[in-house]
Amino acid sequence: MTEPTALADVDAALAGAAPLPRDNGELVFEEPWQGRVLGMGVVALERTGSSWADFRPHLVAAIERRPHDPGESPATAYYAAFVDALESLMSRGELS
Amino acid sequence: MSDHDHGHHHPREASEVELRARALEALLVEKGLVSTDAIDAVVELYENDVGPQNGARVVARAWVDPAYRERLLEHGTEAIAELGFGGTEGENMVVVANEPRVHNMVTCTLCSCYPWPVLGLPPTWYKSPPYRARAVAEPRAVLTEFGLELPDHVEVRVWDSSAEIRYLVLPMRPAGTDGWSEEQLAEIVTRDCMIGTAVPVAT
Repeated sequence: MTEPTALADVDAALAGAAPLPRDNGELVFEEPWQGRVLGMGVVALERTGSSWADFRPHLVAAIERRPHDPGESPATAYYAAFVDALESLMSRGELS
Repeated sequence: MSDHDHGHHHPREASEVELRARALEALLVEKGLVSTDAIDAVVELYENDVGPQNGARVVARAWVDPAYRERLLEHGTEAIAELGFGGTEGENMVVVANEPRVHNMVTCTLCSCYPWPVLGLPPTWYKSPPYRARAVAEPRAVLTEFGLELPDHVEVRVWDSSAEIRYLVLPMRPAGTDGWSEEQLAEIVTRDCMIGTAVPVAT
């Protein structure tokens, strides 16, 4: 298996409007599913040859679309939007 | 690695979004686009990604290998690449060495340019407007706040990172570290030592 995409490259691709949630530099996964969502995004984009540049607008749009829920932590909101974005890529046939 | 408390972890029923995440994973697995093992590998890699360790290894190598130190100060990017580090946001690295009479510190007055491949993600204070402004205007006061008191005869040089050039401070090897292995040395080189807001101490 080849080396997974470097985290620094993911950070660079999502910098600005959709940065990965961090606390003092470390990634924040409050629950295991959040890490798995990021992991499946990384693997799926690699396997389909899609770029993070293609994925970024989907994620940014999903973040903007998501209604703000004060009871939801930032990491939960972020990875929920990440799920939305991956689903939207799939439904457009960009992940196949 | 710091002892990190992720908090907010209440045992409970799987939330709606968690169920959707699981369903998505199952679908991606079914389509052959991901494997559970591949996801595990990414999660493990990212969770253990502590950027400053890369920079610390560069510094430790420079402490034990004078020829490497020379290459590092002359051609930072290439010397850092020798250890396998580089890529986005680290394309043009300039390494500045602390000396008995010179202390270097790094900031980015325009935004928060930072050498990701060797230091990981910048700390919050590095990105804060007060640090960015004051690092240039009153570096000694800032260093004092970080707990670093420099004697008056030490000149403080402030390096302003940009989109083109990312700086890394090569601290001086502290006394009391004779005979230490490279790995031991790397452990005392913190992120702040390489930004220049701290100096390594033998512990």
